[in-house]
Amino acid sequence: MESNLLRVDLTTGEIKSEIIGHEVFERWVGGSGINNWIMWEHFLTHDINCDPRSPDNIFVFGVGPLAGSGAGSGVKGRITFKSPCYDMFGDSAGGGKFPYMIRFTGYEYIAITGRAPKPVYLHICNDEVSLHDASHLWGKDTKDTHAILQEELGTYPSKTHTLSIGQAGENQVGIAGVVSDALRIHARCGGGAVLGSKNLKAIAVQGNGGIKINNPEGIMKWSDEFRKSLDVNEAVYGFKRRGTLGAVEMYQHIGSHFWRNGQGNMFRGGEITSDNWVKRFHKYSEVCSSDCFIACDAKYKIDGTESEAATKYVDESFRRPEYLTTGSAAGALDVRDWAEVAHWGKLTNDYGIDNQDLSCSISFLMELKQRDLISDDDVANLFGHSQSLEWGNMDDIERLVDSIVFQTNPFGKMFGDGPYKGALRYSEMMGQNFMKYAMYGKGGASFTEEMRPFPTWMNNMAVASRGADHLKGLGLIEKFQRRDLSQIYFGGPEAADLTIPDYKGASTAIIENQVALLNSYGVCMFHWMLDPAGYMPESYYGEAYRSITGVEHDSEQLMRDGERICNLEKAFNSRVGMRREHDTVCERWMWEPTEEGLYPGSVAADMFEPVLDEYYQWRGWDVKSGLQTRAKLEELDLGDVADVLESDRALARG
Amino acid sequence: MSAQPQKELVTGETWYQPGDEILNVGTKLFALRNQCTECNVCEVACSLVHSPDGEINPQLSRVRIDHAPEKPSKVNREGLGFVAEICHHCGNPPPCAEVCPTDAFYYDPKTLAAVIDQDNCIQCMECVPGCPFDVVFVAPSGELLKCDLCGGDPVCVKACSTRPEMLNKGKQYNRMPVLFYEDQPEFNRLSREEPVKRDEVGIMQAMLEAGKISSGA
Repeated sequence: MESNLLRVDLTTGEIKSEIIGHEVFERWVGGSGINNWIMWEHFLTHDINCDPRSPDNIFVFGVGPLAGSGAGSGVKGRITFKSPCYDMFGDSAGGGKFPYMIRFTGYEYIAITGRAPKPVYLHICNDEVSLHDASHLWGKDTKDTHAILQEELGTYPSKTHTLSIGQAGENQVGIAGVVSDALRIHARCGGGAVLGSKNLKAIAVQGNGGIKINNPEGIMKWSDEFRKSLDVNEAVYGFKRRGTLGAVEMYQHIGSHFWRNGQGNMFRGGEITSDNWVKRFHKYSEVCSSDCFIACDAKYKIDGTESEAATKYVDESFRRPEYLTTGSAAGALDVRDWAEVAHWGKLTNDYGIDNQDLSCSISFLMELKQRDLISDDDVANLFGHSQSLEWGNMDDIERLVDSIVFQTNPFGKMFGDGPYKGALRYSEMMGQNFMKYAMYGKGGASFTEEMRPFPTWMNNMAVASRGADHLKGLGLIEKFQRRDLSQIYFGGPEAADLTIPDYKGASTAIIENQVALLNSYGVCMFHWMLDPAGYMPESYYGEAYRSITGVEHDSEQLMRDGERICNLEKAFNSRVGMRREHDTVCERWMWEPTEEGLYPGSVAADMFEPVLDEYYQWRGWDVKSGLQTRAKLEELDLGDVADVLESDRALARG
Repeated sequence: MSAQPQKELVTGETWYQPGDEILNVGTKLFALRNQCTECNVCEVACSLVHSPDGEINPQLSRVRIDHAPEKPSKVNREGLGFVAEICHHCGNPPPCAEVCPTDAFYYDPKTLAAVIDQDNCIQCMECVPGCPFDVVFVAPSGELLKCDLCGGDPVCVKACSTRPEMLNKGKQYNRMPVLFYEDQPEFNRLSREEPVKRDEVGIMQAMLEAGKISSGA
């Protein structure tokens, strides 16, 4: 397996191509693993403590070897950079057709540095790569940008697919995302702000080259079996019908929602508590990523009769909201009309902004107002006019979103980097400590699900390398109480038991390794969740990986590869100064007990420290400082990384 | 870009002489109208099996996924999602073969599908507009690509795993793929089959029933 890396220096306009050799795949698997390595190498010659919005930051796009190669597990591209909102390691995955198409140009990895003097877009057409003026695209949302570029570049030599930023990215809002084909957003960590700071509006790709497969018979056979196993799996049909939106009902049952800035953990209001609303809306197409057997997405259209608010959005088409789109609107902001929830999803996608950090920034201010901690005058000072901060009022929420996206007033400027930095700035401005109401985990990132009853999830929120969220270590063993899986991994049922801390940190460590592996394959996590072999990407996808790449790593080696990737992300964060004290969560999660749901009275503090200790132990890191040890790094063939950490005083002593 | 000749998956070669009767293809490809989700798996699979050295390239596929033409319908005023562009295997003789100046088409004795003989093809591209369904494609290297039915076991049909179950106000289908390899009456029967009534279960409930989640949760 070999691949090509495209290096673009926007300052000088220099474009060059490099070969990524087989040995890099042997060490870093592909996808996010290779992205991480490209970024790590960049920051050996550039200041790692640079301002993430400066030309010194790097933006890497990469797509793993299993993506679009007949494995049928979806296509996920990955962007990697230093996060402007959390000031640490940042990356984010996204689907759509862009990562599929880019494989046919011959370039699977792109590294962008510097800053263009004026807005440009990058056009990759097979091996012809060029930068073009993007002044006609500047100010446009992602949907229009995509449509204009498709129109301009046409369908020869292939259809055009794009990765673009919306107005949020242009204005360098810290929580801006990057949108693939105006359809799928790489939301987390602020990749949009990095591209905005580089004056790069979009990347458009067209390609008609091919992907070479090491063992075509092997992958055809594997994908046949894989498809058959999905065809008999009822959960797949559940996914096709509702996607992750199906989680609404279960989360209502166990009390895992995030209601009104985390003040409750159940949705209120009849219809919002179930996902059955979709039945009333007009579905006109099922949609999926390329090379995917599931198709969990669908397009709907509002005809105005479905609900009270639907009359505002007649003829608006929308994609079925994901759980977290719902969790942020119906949960954090208490929006109770489904047409408005759908509109919220469309709005954030068009602007290109992360709905998690966005909703928690807004809900933070709404809670202050609800508690009368700020007056109407304080609010007017923030917005330059009087502004109702009523829960669930979609027109008001839209105005608040606009403030952040367009940076038009002090509120928008303060909360552009999410609720943690926003709350800090606002507390300072008001001379009063409001941090109790800011909802965040590692890095100041927020996430709209209830965490307190679930020790593995809480641990994951505190240690995730890119900031708090679920996609670095989805704690399925615990949340779904899979005793059978606990038995497989740990020889006992303890990891599935929510009442004890045993094996919770260990679960995080193991699942983080697996997820790192999945992200490096370039496949979707949903197939892994439905995996009949028990969530084991190392054995399950191992055969497909070997067939495609010719990298002959067995399951054990692949798990070590996953661990190596996690360790590099950790090393990046150690270099920017993160220690054990940064592996924590917000006050409400830590100390304020839950009042409802299946597990009332839970606080994170109950098990937080023992679980964190166990996590470091399973990782082989120093429990006191949270730093990596040379012994562990050398065991993972990362002696060179240990040397860098040592010179930065970011390696555990002894 | 592949300059390699495309591998054909035929069971043999029948060359008809002028005046011979050309038999019609009985079992052929069908697609459920407007139910495709553009997952591209059929393109991936088709290009992979037809490539001599294991290459995936949708531009070398003999089946293509495209946006449906934008015409109003009961389902949607703006356009109809996606369609699979498949060879209809017209009969006796197929228009693509009829316009060929070099008579470069032969027939698979098992499936009766018309196949382009790349050695005799002069790449004049007459067959491209000659096809009434626009499903003779041109590879980046200039070679003409036409469906050969994979010798009776079409890989696109095997790969098509999309199970449309348009509920809501759209038509509901049974759990079937979009692509079929059937004869016309059988396809008609399948596509008109009354959908099996199923309780609508969400993903979580389905996982619960499949034992993927413990009932304790």
